[in-house]
Amino acid sequence: MRFLATVAVASLALSGAWLGVVEAKSVSGDRVLVLVPKVEAAKLYSQFLDSLTSRGFDLSVRAATNTSVALQVDGVRIYDHAVVLSPESKKLGANLSVRDFASFVDDGGNLIVAASSELSELGRKLAARFGVEYEKRGTAVIDHVAHLRAVNDTSDHTLVAAIPSKAASPVLSEQFALAQSSPVYFKGIAHKYELNNPMLIPVLTGSRTTYSAAAASDANESASPSISLSGKPVGLVSLFQARNNARVAFSGSTALFSDALLSHAAGANKQFTTDISQWVLQEKAVLRETAHRHYLASTGQRPEHYRISNEIVYEIDLSVYHDAAWHPYNAKDVQFEAIMLDPYIRTTLNSSESADPKTTATYHGDIKLPDRYGTFTFRVNYKRPGFSNVDVKDTVGIWPLRHDEYPRFLSAAYPYYTGSLVMAVGFLALCAVWMWSAEPKTKRAAKHKSN
Amino acid sequence: MVKKVLGLTVADQASLLRIAILGLISLVAIGSRLYSVIRFESVIHEFDPWFNYRTTRYLVNNGFDKFWNWFDETAWYPLGRVVGGTLYPGIMVTSATIYNALHLLNIPVDIRNVCVFLAPAFSALTAIATYHLGKEVKNATAGLLAAAFMGVAPGYISRSVAGSYDNEGIAIFLLVFTFFLWLRSVRLGSALYGALTALSYFYMVSAWGGYVFIINLVPLHVFALLAMGRFSNRLYVAYSTFYVIGTLASMQIPFVGFQPTFTSEHMAALGVFGLIQLVAFASFARTLVPENHFRVLLRGAVVSLFVVGLSGLVLLTMSGVIAPWTGRFYSLWDTGYAKIHIPIIASVSEHQPTAWPNFFFDLNMLIWLLPAGIYFSFRELSDNHVFLILYSIFAAYFASVMVRLILTLTPIVCVLAGVAMSHVFETYLNFRDVPPSSPVKASAVSSAAPAADKAQRAADTVSDDVAVEDTDSASGHKKRGKGAKKSAAKAAEAATDTSADGAATPSTPAPNELSPGLKRFYTIFPKFVVMSCFMFLLCMFQWHCSWITSTAYSSPSVVLSSRGPDGSTFIIDDFREAYYWLRKNTKPDAKVLSWWDYGYQLAGMADRTTLVDNNTWNNTHIATVGKIMASDEDTAYELARRHDVDYVLVVFGAMLGYSGDDINKFLWMVRIAQGVYPDDIKEEAFYNQQGRYAISDDASPAMRNSLMHKLSYYRFAEVMGGRGTDKVRGQKLPTSVTLDNFEEAYTTENWMVRIYKVKDLDNLGRSHHAASKF
Repeated sequence: MRFLATVAVASLALSGAWLGVVEAKSVSGDRVLVLVPKVEAAKLYSQFLDSLTSRGFDLSVRAATNTSVALQVDGVRIYDHAVVLSPESKKLGANLSVRDFASFVDDGGNLIVAASSELSELGRKLAARFGVEYEKRGTAVIDHVAHLRAVNDTSDHTLVAAIPSKAASPVLSEQFALAQSSPVYFKGIAHKYELNNPMLIPVLTGSRTTYSAAAASDANESASPSISLSGKPVGLVSLFQARNNARVAFSGSTALFSDALLSHAAGANKQFTTDISQWVLQEKAVLRETAHRHYLASTGQRPEHYRISNEIVYEIDLSVYHDAAWHPYNAKDVQFEAIMLDPYIRTTLNSSESADPKTTATYHGDIKLPDRYGTFTFRVNYKRPGFSNVDVKDTVGIWPLRHDEYPRFLSAAYPYYTGSLVMAVGFLALCAVWMWSAEPKTKRAAKHKSN
Repeated sequence: MVKKVLGLTVADQASLLRIAILGLISLVAIGSRLYSVIRFESVIHEFDPWFNYRTTRYLVNNGFDKFWNWFDETAWYPLGRVVGGTLYPGIMVTSATIYNALHLLNIPVDIRNVCVFLAPAFSALTAIATYHLGKEVKNATAGLLAAAFMGVAPGYISRSVAGSYDNEGIAIFLLVFTFFLWLRSVRLGSALYGALTALSYFYMVSAWGGYVFIINLVPLHVFALLAMGRFSNRLYVAYSTFYVIGTLASMQIPFVGFQPTFTSEHMAALGVFGLIQLVAFASFARTLVPENHFRVLLRGAVVSLFVVGLSGLVLLTMSGVIAPWTGRFYSLWDTGYAKIHIPIIASVSEHQPTAWPNFFFDLNMLIWLLPAGIYFSFRELSDNHVFLILYSIFAAYFASVMVRLILTLTPIVCVLAGVAMSHVFETYLNFRDVPPSSPVKASAVSSAAPAADKAQRAADTVSDDVAVEDTDSASGHKKRGKGAKKSAAKAAEAATDTSADGAATPSTPAPNELSPGLKRFYTIFPKFVVMSCFMFLLCMFQWHCSWITSTAYSSPSVVLSSRGPDGSTFIIDDFREAYYWLRKNTKPDAKVLSWWDYGYQLAGMADRTTLVDNNTWNNTHIATVGKIMASDEDTAYELARRHDVDYVLVVFGAMLGYSGDDINKFLWMVRIAQGVYPDDIKEEAFYNQQGRYAISDDASPAMRNSLMHKLSYYRFAEVMGGRGTDKVRGQKLPTSVTLDNFEEAYTTENWMVRIYKVKDLDNLGRSHHAASKF
């Protein structure tokens, strides 16, 4: 208790600074549904929930058993985000099904779902839908090397200390990118994640000594239980971004968000949960295209359709959202494609001067259209892990030349021009000769004939 | 003889009658083509007309300049189609001109009605042109008969009913008119008529790809005349004028472009043009060489030049300098060619060889008057008759190879039948040789009187015509060749001949005396019998034509009708229902995938982007669509996504028993796809173990998994109560048809058209099979 009290004091002190630094708001709305087993259980997560409130979210904390809780009413979302912290509940709210959660995500809602070793079938199915497969009920993540060490070495080997993956840079803040970053404490169930799923970001995984096994009564014993998953493939926290940019986080641990671990001085749980929740609730790494345009380089106007081999300019403005504001998004890998079944052009756009340098960055390309007519798709398909997807498509007709736009008087054809001119002149000359020299004769002949 | 009625001389009466008769023929020609409008409505028919209609509307709305440079992004997505450069603009320009002229006169006609009634209007012109052609080769009687035949011959009506707004609608008129001008220019040796022929030919080139027929037949005529030793300055003037002006003019059509200079189809004309220059030179040289030597020399030179020219042509073609013949052309010589090499040509029913009954169906009694006409042409064999013979032989051959070419056969059949029929009329309606008893008696035979009158008229018009032609040919042309005189003289001779023939039989053998009454009876009675037989046949012909027109050729095929057991008519309007649904319920830039048959209709009626249409210019693209239809759902989905397809449309006849549906066309899709993707699609895989083309549960796995099968039968068994049969194929319905990647968007009242939406990619990145299992 004393320990907890000091933690609470420390956290209160810290939260002031926290508030000052991170006063962000989501781009997609601030209505958050928090599902906990019982309303009182929310106290366990007070720090985490308070941080959400302090970031401007409007929390509705509900018990999982409350049957009036729904995500959508008449097909319309009534929450923008949902945080599910009651993994053991067999039923959630008004008997919410996996389908309800999926349609919530399809509708643009964001989800944070925490699990535990006693995960219900509903939570398991929900995760499976997103390519996250939890281990069997009753298993736990164990690490005999990396775990929270208590002073008297009665430490719990299931309270794993994991180092966040360095790859997930847009999600996690800079401090995790350091070589010696503090660990994140995790206690719960492991999951398998699909390695090749581009929508899934395994943000926290096990180390070489981590494994998942049945949470025996004495987990600290290094007996050899049946190990089903070990090492890096042990997923602890995975993030998912759907095609419509809705974001979902799966954490195998509810404890990860608990006050107990958040306030642990040695751990980085506070920063980690903040980063994760900021990402999921669309407070950071939100990329958007504010405008794009293409026009003829010669006139600066966009015509109804282009002609083959036109010189055009393509420009796109990109902004990224973080710290409660839109900022210019700077990158060197924004590519433009002109596609007609296959890409005819694929080129990297250069950044250029933006009309609004405070919020947007402009990318610019001078492009010569292909010498091929057809219906082309101008596309900027920018998908980077952690950032929301930008996929801008324009269907543009490229027409052949008009009948009067073809080049006239080709130098290669001069012999033919000369030939036809000579022919015409010769014909006229022949006519002249015929008329002036032969006429009297024919007259006479005609007279003879008529006679 | 010279009686004046209403102050008109006999000649005036005759011409007045001719005009009246032609007017009536025109009325009948137009009238009999209106069944479709009366039965259904003023609607554009079938498939190609929808494209013509759409482009005409574009022309009317946007003007000629835009039309000329029109690139259609909504066809052949994403390749697009250079419409201005890939069509024959004749029919659109014609309609637009008529439309604008009418609007100038403040007659607010809808462009659709102009299009619908264009073909009937032109059929009247065709009848008049046929009259002139008949008059050119024989006389006004033959011309009138030919015009009457042409007006109602089903072979032509099949392509020119109201609503059938297709190139052929005006092209047949131009074909006949060009030939008429050509024959006249050959007969007169007039550069003016030669130039007019070329202009008419230019119009024809602008209107229909069938112009190739003219540009091969005319040189063939010239070549035949040269080979017969009938070179004349008239021929030289006519052909040189026609070829030079005609070719230069035809090259102004973008679709034709430089083809006359390098494709095989046009080489004969060029070769003959060269040949006739040589022959002209030779005939000039003839004045310097003794006559009998020269004849041998000339023929030898002509034949050897032809051989040299032909082998040169073959060599150039094989070495690739001259474009080789197109597939459509090869299939004219070898009916099996298309089936093996170009399934897309063979898949079109109108490219199939003609069945024998078709000739009778489309031409009735005319088809057996044709040989008689050819016989009479051989008997006279002037330059014009050589042309008729050549035309009839070639057209008859082509018509028997390809069903649709009965169309080009019809005019010559009508003309030659007119010639043959007029011979019959002149022989059997000639009552001049009736023994002159007392004039009172003659008038007493009241029943024969009108017939006699008619004969009188016929004879009059013959002499009249000859007179007219004589003055015609005598006036003006100083360089008039002897041919014109000859033909005129021949015509006159023929006229007297026929009458002499008629006169000879009864009048010469008169040794055993008969009483005048009996004699008259013997003369008149056989004529009466023969004429009543022919009259009966003519009536039957007219009746047959009307019946065929109303039953076989007046269905718009966009709207169908069926008859209930009690004789009531049901209108089946599923096509328009589906197209209208697309028009009203989908995004304006939605891409609709269907088999190419429906491309033009989709563009015209639904106003949506299509992947393939009836233009069929890109075999690979069509094969891709075939592959989508023939592949399993996942492959099809991937391909459809790649082509940005939003909706898939299939035509399904199993509910109604409409046999022209996509499942029946499916084997062609498979064959065409196999031609381009032989590794992915195999025709054998679509037959079941018994080798049959089955659709129910005993169908082959490839068939059952194919997209076409799934889209057609999806949920159909449920509707039929699970135990129904396919009314077209008479097989049991497949029981379990699943569909994951596509969702049903719309099905029409009679299930004839089914539209499916291609699902979006799953938001959570799973396959639709997996998604649908949840």
